[in-house]
Amino acid sequence: MKLQIEKFGKTLISRELGREAFKAFQPTLRDLPKNEDLEIDFSGVLTLSPSWADEFLSPLFDQLDDKLIILPSDNLSVRATLKILEEVNKRPFKIRPQS
Amino acid sequence: MEEKLLTIGQAAEYLGVSLNTLRRWDESGKLVAIKKEGGTHRYYREDDLEIFSSDLTRFATEWIRNGVEFPGTFYCQTSSIFNAKLTKMQSALMQKPGFEELYSLIVLIAGEIGDNSFAHNLGKWPDTAGIFFGYDLEKRIIVLADRGLGILETLRQVRPKLPNHVEAVKVAFTEFVSGRAPEKRGNGLKLVREVVTDQPIDLFFISGDAEVRMKGQNKVFRVTRGQHIVRGCLAKIEF
Repeated sequence: MKLQIEKFGKTLISRELGREAFKAFQPTLRDLPKNEDLEIDFSGVLTLSPSWADEFLSPLFDQLDDKLIILPSDNLSVRATLKILEEVNKRPFKIRPQS
Repeated sequence: MEEKLLTIGQAAEYLGVSLNTLRRWDESGKLVAIKKEGGTHRYYREDDLEIFSSDLTRFATEWIRNGVEFPGTFYCQTSSIFNAKLTKMQSALMQKPGFEELYSLIVLIAGEIGDNSFAHNLGKWPDTAGIFFGYDLEKRIIVLADRGLGILETLRQVRPKLPNHVEAVKVAFTEFVSGRAPEKRGNGLKLVREVVTDQPIDLFFISGDAEVRMKGQNKVFRVTRGQHIVRGCLAKIEF
């Protein structure tokens, strides 16, 4: 399953809205077949902050572990935020190499 | 040709303050009105108002130090107002030559600092709720400020032994606070510090009497003790 983060907004800053987004996504996540990966696509996102991402991606990472796949992004804020979250969670995200 | 003058009512609307505030500012000399010969009515030149409202750092500093009122156009009472204004700034910054990629890191820094103010003071604002958020993209400056609890008091909820503002600000910008703790301020500010270190972005940040100055090339993160104690936090971002 591919999740377009842009559907939650193009400017993702607030911790509170990150939490809301995580809750809103839970019903969809329940339909994810057990063996299927969840691909996170940041295309279209203009700014991603560590607070929003910490509320959304960190718990998703706990739930899915290596079934969570990040698609590569050129956006500087996305890259910087993913890097700091890897430090917070003390493990790297699985990033799909560009084909 | 005679320059067009604004009435005090028009000037109040322009600056987003009350008539009484303008009268007070006139009497104190902060923003002096023009009086036509023999008259008592106050008038203002639009140029003067524009210059007056461009001093973002002064407004923010006077507000958090002394509670002095500032033009309403810079006031974000709620997080959603802040997010809307930030998105507007982002659109303008993206169009600016040289900022086609860097804009997202500048918005990240401003967004993270502004959102911290709301996240950590929700339901706990000591007096005025909300933040000051002003920017001038021509001058390449963004100023944010709040009259909230400040970093020391917020972080003491999870680190009760923090001795002073300087140590608290150091922790906020350099350490990861446990993800299980209710207080997560450290994570975002740590990234702010890293981005400012690596990018052509300067940061001046104060909370309590602690000051952070990261400016120019070879920036070093250091927290020093300033001369004044301010309520809440103030951040000046230059790029």
